[in-house]
Amino acid sequence: MARNRFVRKLNELRRGVIDMGAITLQSVKDVLTALETSDTALAERVIANDDKIDNFDRKIESQCVRLLALEQPMAKDLRIIATSFKMITDLERIGDWSVDIAEEVINMGKPIRIPVSASKFNELVADVKAMVADSIEAYTQGNVQQARTFEARDDRIDSLYKQIVDDMVNSLAQGKCSTETVADVTSLLYVIRYLERIADHAVAIGNRICYMEEGERRYLK
Amino acid sequence: MSGEIEISIKNLNLWFGNFQALKNINIDIPKNAVTALIGPSGCGKSTFIKTLDRMNDLVDNVKFTGEIIYKGRNILDSDTDVVELRKEIGMVFQKPNPFPKSIFDNVVYGPRVHGIRDKKTLHEIAERSLKGAAIWDEVKDRLGESALRLSGGQQQRLCIARLLAVEPDVLLMDEPASALDPIATSKIEDLLYELKKDYTIVIVTHNMQQAARVSSRTAFFWLGEMVEYAPTIDLFERPQNKRTEDYVTGKFG
Repeated sequence: MARNRFVRKLNELRRGVIDMGAITLQSVKDVLTALETSDTALAERVIANDDKIDNFDRKIESQCVRLLALEQPMAKDLRIIATSFKMITDLERIGDWSVDIAEEVINMGKPIRIPVSASKFNELVADVKAMVADSIEAYTQGNVQQARTFEARDDRIDSLYKQIVDDMVNSLAQGKCSTETVADVTSLLYVIRYLERIADHAVAIGNRICYMEEGERRYLK
Repeated sequence: MSGEIEISIKNLNLWFGNFQALKNINIDIPKNAVTALIGPSGCGKSTFIKTLDRMNDLVDNVKFTGEIIYKGRNILDSDTDVVELRKEIGMVFQKPNPFPKSIFDNVVYGPRVHGIRDKKTLHEIAERSLKGAAIWDEVKDRLGESALRLSGGQQQRLCIARLLAVEPDVLLMDEPASALDPIATSKIEDLLYELKKDYTIVIVTHNMQQAARVSSRTAFFWLGEMVEYAPTIDLFERPQNKRTEDYVTGKFG
């Protein structure tokens, strides 16, 4: 095997992306626990944790630029670097949406009262969490089969998102909400919008994994 | 790129004595485009390019089968006029090889051999060819000077001008920039970009980034076989063959 040094650097790059994925996933999990339990202290920790994600983003970005400039990578090596370079932006954005959710948890500051089906909401939360976890696992394993399932799973998330928004808007329109509940509903509208965006980034990661592994270009619909 | 095929190679095999240097090569070379040949030393890419203007005929014990169809005829046929062929399909070598003559005499050497004597015509040919090889501005005031006083990069462009003077259709280049510094190399690469509008170019290069930059299609040769031939971007971004992948990523070779 030639180019041992380069291969080692490439492996370091992949490990960095996996580590960044792990702490981003932890932020998603923590903020959803904070949302469920109204744990504002945990929400604060998610906000603080975002600096670590941003540091990973900057560090990996410069690793990618160095490898592109100095090693002139080709074929799969090139695709690993191109994928990692783009994927860290997805992870960084997922981290930012988690911060935005954390801020809504702090704004609400108490157990939330939602005028819609808790089961739909819980389903959305669970699906988004699983998609983020699976996208990082698929990158780690180079699992194209798994990555290809994300678009269909995202369609389901989009549909749940629309149903919940409709339910909330209807309950507001029908005047079923108290003044306090109106504030919670508004916060929750933001939260589910952020969750929907997080899922889109997981789909983007899945598409990038297909490119990394097989050179197949897939784009978000 | 016009989409037309300039040269079509079919089932080409070539032996030097008992050693088979090319094994069943099939490639269509597109017209007015740059086609790059890459592969480790000894893989057959230089032998292949030399077959396109019958330069291998100069080697003892060479024998070949198959067809190289150019302008509707098989140039491997024994009745091919190789002097005429090499006027249509010219070659530039790794090391610039100007004649120990003036710049002017170098450029018009070919036209003179082909019988052109008129001074005005020769001067027009020299100017057109030197302009075509992007060296006119550097030498126009010293055409009478010895070509050997030019820098390596200038000598290589002079050799390209010498080729253009006989108005070929196809330019074969065997590592034309490997002996040049990065600035001279980039001038040759810029020149290729211009020349492909009017000529079909086949270039052998050890520099994969150069192949990636200048060519529209690339062929990967290995142990006398043509392993993969694809649009350049595909060959470097997503090669289909494991050996191509290993070579372009530097895992062997």
